[in-house]
Amino acid sequence: MAAELTVLTGAYDHDLTRLAEYRAVGGYRQLTRARKMKPPAVIEEISKASLRGRGGAGFPMGRKLGLVPPADKRQGPAYVVVNADESEPGAFKDREIIRRVPHRLLEGCLIAAHAIQAEAVFIYIRGEYLAEALVLEAAIDEARLAGLFGQVKVLLHRGAGAYICGEESALLESLEGNRGQPRPRPPFPPVAGLYMQPTLINNVQTVASVPAIIELGAERYAQLGVASAPGTVVYSLSGNVNRPGNYELPLGVTLRELVFEHGQGIADGRALKAIIPGGSSVPVFTPDQLDVQLDFDSVQAAGSYLGSAAVIVVDERACMVQLALRAEKFYVHESCGKCTPCREGTRWLVRLLEKIEAGDGTQADLDLVAEVCDRIEGKSLCALGDFAVWCVGSYLEKFRDEFQRHVDEGRCPYGGESSTEGVPAPSDQHTHTAMAQVPA
Amino acid sequence: MSSPELVNVVIDGRDVQVPKGTGMVETALAAGIEIPVFCYEPRLGSPIGACRMCLCEVDGMPKLQTACTMAAQDGLVLRTAQTSDKAAEGQDAVLEFILLNHPLDCPDCDKGGECPLQDLTFRWGPGNTRMRFPKRTFDKPIPISPLIGLDRERCILCYRCTRFSELVAEDGQLVAVNRGAQSVIATFEDEPYRAHFSGNVIEVCPVGALTSTTYRFRARPWEIQNVPTVCGLCPVGCNIWATTREGKLARILSRNHPEVDEGWLCDKGRFAYGHLRAEDRITAPLRRVRRRGFERVSWEEALDEAERGLRAAEGSVVVALSGGETVEQATALARLTQDGLGSRAAILPETSHPALDRFRAPLSAIRDADVCLVIGDDPVVERAPIVDLWLRQARRAGAEIITVHPAGSVPLEPGSAAWACAALTSADAPKELRPAVRSLKRAERVALVWSENDPTGGAYIAALAEKLGPKSSVYFLPRTPNGRGIAAAWGRADEPPADGEIGALIVSGDEVARDPGVRELAERARFVLAAVMFESEVTLWSHLVLPGTSYLERDGTTINLEGRPQRLRRAVTPPVDEELAFFAELAGRFGVEVDPWPGRLPDAHAPLPARTEADAPVKAPAARAPKRRRRGLEVVRYRGLFSGAAVARVPQLQFQRSLAEVELSAADALQRGIENGNLVRVSSNGTSRTLTARINRRLRAGVVRIENEHANGLEASVEVTHA
Amino acid sequence: MADARYDRIRKIAAKYPERRSAMMPALRLAQDAHGGWLPAEALREVADALDLAPAEVEAVATFYDMFNLEPVGRHLVEVCTNLSCALAGAKQVVDALEIELGIPPGETSNDGEVTFRLIECAGGCGYAPVVVVDHLYREPTRPEDVPGLVEELRGR
Ligand SMILES: Cc1cc2nc3c(=O)[nH]c(=O)nc-3n(C[C@H](O)[C@H](O)[C@H](O)COP(=O)(O)O)c2cc1C
Ligand code: SF4
Ligand code: FES
Repeated sequence: MAAELTVLTGAYDHDLTRLAEYRAVGGYRQLTRARKMKPPAVIEEISKASLRGRGGAGFPMGRKLGLVPPADKRQGPAYVVVNADESEPGAFKDREIIRRVPHRLLEGCLIAAHAIQAEAVFIYIRGEYLAEALVLEAAIDEARLAGLFGQVKVLLHRGAGAYICGEESALLESLEGNRGQPRPRPPFPPVAGLYMQPTLINNVQTVASVPAIIELGAERYAQLGVASAPGTVVYSLSGNVNRPGNYELPLGVTLRELVFEHGQGIADGRALKAIIPGGSSVPVFTPDQLDVQLDFDSVQAAGSYLGSAAVIVVDERACMVQLALRAEKFYVHESCGKCTPCREGTRWLVRLLEKIEAGDGTQADLDLVAEVCDRIEGKSLCALGDFAVWCVGSYLEKFRDEFQRHVDEGRCPYGGESSTEGVPAPSDQHTHTAMAQVPA
Repeated sequence: MSSPELVNVVIDGRDVQVPKGTGMVETALAAGIEIPVFCYEPRLGSPIGACRMCLCEVDGMPKLQTACTMAAQDGLVLRTAQTSDKAAEGQDAVLEFILLNHPLDCPDCDKGGECPLQDLTFRWGPGNTRMRFPKRTFDKPIPISPLIGLDRERCILCYRCTRFSELVAEDGQLVAVNRGAQSVIATFEDEPYRAHFSGNVIEVCPVGALTSTTYRFRARPWEIQNVPTVCGLCPVGCNIWATTREGKLARILSRNHPEVDEGWLCDKGRFAYGHLRAEDRITAPLRRVRRRGFERVSWEEALDEAERGLRAAEGSVVVALSGGETVEQATALARLTQDGLGSRAAILPETSHPALDRFRAPLSAIRDADVCLVIGDDPVVERAPIVDLWLRQARRAGAEIITVHPAGSVPLEPGSAAWACAALTSADAPKELRPAVRSLKRAERVALVWSENDPTGGAYIAALAEKLGPKSSVYFLPRTPNGRGIAAAWGRADEPPADGEIGALIVSGDEVARDPGVRELAERARFVLAAVMFESEVTLWSHLVLPGTSYLERDGTTINLEGRPQRLRRAVTPPVDEELAFFAELAGRFGVEVDPWPGRLPDAHAPLPARTEADAPVKAPAARAPKRRRRGLEVVRYRGLFSGAAVARVPQLQFQRSLAEVELSAADALQRGIENGNLVRVSSNGTSRTLTARINRRLRAGVVRIENEHANGLEASVEVTHA
Repeated sequence: MADARYDRIRKIAAKYPERRSAMMPALRLAQDAHGGWLPAEALREVADALDLAPAEVEAVATFYDMFNLEPVGRHLVEVCTNLSCALAGAKQVVDALEIELGIPPGETSNDGEVTFRLIECAGGCGYAPVVVVDHLYREPTRPEDVPGLVEELRGR
């Protein structure tokens, strides 16, 4: 029911990558309307709609806008930065938005820029998204030629392969031409962000939701989704389901509806074993949690996070120890190396999990995994450290007996038959450093 | 600046009052509580919160917070590991992580005994790690330069050294490469870390990862003695600790004087001490016998010989001073020559203008200036290195740095300094200077730095300061460490006789002994007395040679470029007694009383005397703008920091010497089809030298820049062609 | 040639409020100009154009996966083995490629034609397993698609 789309509206019956067609469906009218409004009024509208960030933290965009000092209360320029680094394992929604409705994203950018009287918009897109970068670049050129930017500069900036650059302060460092390592906060970006100037940084989807808010008005928008989190979200569904893909649905649909109606259930009628509700970084759910509603607060109440609304379905063939090991190898590869707990702790966890997976683990090793997770959580400079333990920690907690069997039986209970057997990872192959010799 | 409001903070139940915004680590110290830190070092820019050692519990915050990144706000309630279990658990965790891959090889680590990591591990740390896997290993230690070794196994990645390189020295040469657990400290392509201040990374390293190759395994901290003294190698006069062991000098460390050096040293000051033990050091008085030979003589015989030579001179005496002497040494020589022998003829390293004292200010005031004007063709960093760091700090703090020299932001002709000083305040300033004039007018605090190779420049810069008013402070960079003190001690100096025979010549120090002018005087002198440290051609044309001493072997007073009298302390004893004793006794033989004991200033950081009152307006001689040469390229020479008798005798420092390069403007290079790195022939009629071309995009066309020793024999105007 | 790159980099830099922001575009430019990787002189070029020390450029280049500090083949074949792709059988795709190319992941074929490596989540989880060939996604790629793919590369 198209009425309920607010981001991908019209994307499947028009080629909205083309300015003319986007305009034909009413594109950029909201920009015109917004530009007729006073900046505070725009902020007010977005706040009333209580649009929550889609990048992971679910922070209200209106509050962020409000933290940016207004034009007359600041010396230098202000910037809008769009986080299109989408690198959370399981997430591929921003990619869909950029490919299908690049102009809606740009319209959102320009409305946001008007709201804080920004001088420039920077869109930081992950380097791997080449095709998407080309689509967006073309859209930017079209819109610029059409004179839609006015005084605002819009620049597309490509990353170069680093998950951490999705973290907002690391993204800003990267955009400034440095190693993408997070900054301590405060100060937060709205106060001192890009080049230490006031900066609004939001996820692609968050920004692309803004035109709908101006169009529908805060009241009507707020009627979509749930009270605590209005609107729709593009859920990225992947893993062992029949119909994986992106589904834009109101916030608050249940996992069951997403997986079994839209995703049409588990392949080959296998049993569901585990389900990750918000990308690899969040604690895992078990089948008995299928009725949890997919909105920020409900998922959190159930002990996990909606994160980037990337739902990964795991069927009975997977070994959770192997899955934990593979997940942790991702974090050790992506840790930026700035802060001690994450840099050293993730490495330690990989070693321990390798040992357990190989069947050489002891009871002490099992306890140590849990202990090391505790010792990392909440002590790192950015949340990557937490992400690196939420996955492993929750697998261990919820599938303890499976871990236990690896220790007791001295082997993987699947005896090499699991779907996750021997999955290699980038951290296993030699990286471009000749220097660090990490003994096996 | 208005004093900031005070706020109340509670740390571990203790109330403290500090200025709003004070860092929480400092705030805790104010309450007598130590919060352990590794990456935190306020001199390295804003805190980065990387090591996580300083985790504390803060009321109203669910997560532990890093104290180092927090500033004091009213009502803040913080609990450190001493009163919060959560914080203690956090700290314990972090320390365990830090030690995971640390070799714990304290017994054979240079840092052992003075290592924060070692101390913290004893105080809080887990006795043994629970990591049972083999630790990360690297080749160790690898030299990152002939001066510095890097042990990557000991490195805890606190990023102090890289922040020094990036944010203090701004050389950008020492960096972290790779990501995550693969991260290591490195230089580009493992090339040597070749920069004026590299040695400071050894001191900022909180573990034994960066160590000095000149100090490795020399001493254990409990066998050593640290003598508080002052560096005597340039006019900054950085405060240092001279570490000695069994009467030998083992290393130089900084002794942070916040107004002078902020705890930084240049590599010359840190590493040149090796010259004390050079083989060619003169260790006993030498008397000329026959044309070329010398015999060692006793102190007494040397005195007799000197007395004989000076009496025979009958008042025709000239003294040449190097600029490294203490005030006391210079005074002794002045009394001897002026009162005892009746001559004022001298070659002085500087002439210090009295008006400079009306505009004096601590070097640290440069940081607070909003406009810094650096004027003169000598690169500041080569002449008074630390001043360069202060200027960089000022720029980072938002000051405008105006540099007036052929490669500066105002690229004037070489030798324009004196003229520019006047032009900068004249109503009809030339176009290229007008923006600077405006900035100077608008500025509320101005720092004026004179770096021209012209010892009489004091008048020009003082005159400029006078026109700008009290908002300006003047930093006149002498060419020698104690030039100001010596000029003051000698007073009015007469020119040496232009020609004819001279009765006696007294040469004080190796520096001036190499001066061609002095050499020329020596040839006219019946008697030459030289006090020098090392054998050189000087010893060949002297009749009596006294063993000279180093600043590390003397007691006394020295006056730095600010005009700050500082105390030199004898760290190690010289081979024989020092020059002061000799000249004092010699003076006695001519009926002049000279105190053989140097003045004793307190060891503590010396204060800067107040500004003096204006007596008469400054009169600066008229200066005209230099005329553009018609033909050829004009040579700007400067003296590289890593030169001189001491540096020449320290093998590990040789890689720091200025390269055999000629700096070319982009335009001149293009015109001659010369590219960066090409070998070129630099020639002026007759002589020519082959040097490497370095294209300097900021250098004014028509000018080339060459360091002294590579410009030898070249004239003021040269041509450059492909070699 | 190098001078032309200097000017191009300066032009890119001019689009940003601060020159250093052109670091990544500049490195990408230099990498393309030097056969897909960044030899020392490439890093020096970038440093020169951005008024930085070469080490500062190396520090950044070695931080990001897409900058190659070692020579690479004419073609780049990358396989995602993160959770979603793993669950969809990425391992089998890796094995197939290893057989067809005759090299393990992380290596370049002796003829210098193909560099084969593993990558983390490429953002194609819904179309897993994802293989990226010369920066363009092949979604999904199944083991049976591999021989054709390799043939196609060898052909080009
Ligand atoms: C390790 C890490 C990775 C992240 N990756 C992304 C990302 O790929 N895309 C994104 O929009 N936000 C990401 N975030 C969240 C951002 O830091 C930030 O909260 C978000 O971009 C804010 O936008 P929003 O308020 O619109 O969600 C990441 C956070 C962390 C700690
Ligand atoms: S948590 Fe990991 S990624 Fe985040 S700052 Fe620390 S090391 Fe870097
Ligand atoms: S000292 Fe605070 S994080 Fe390192």
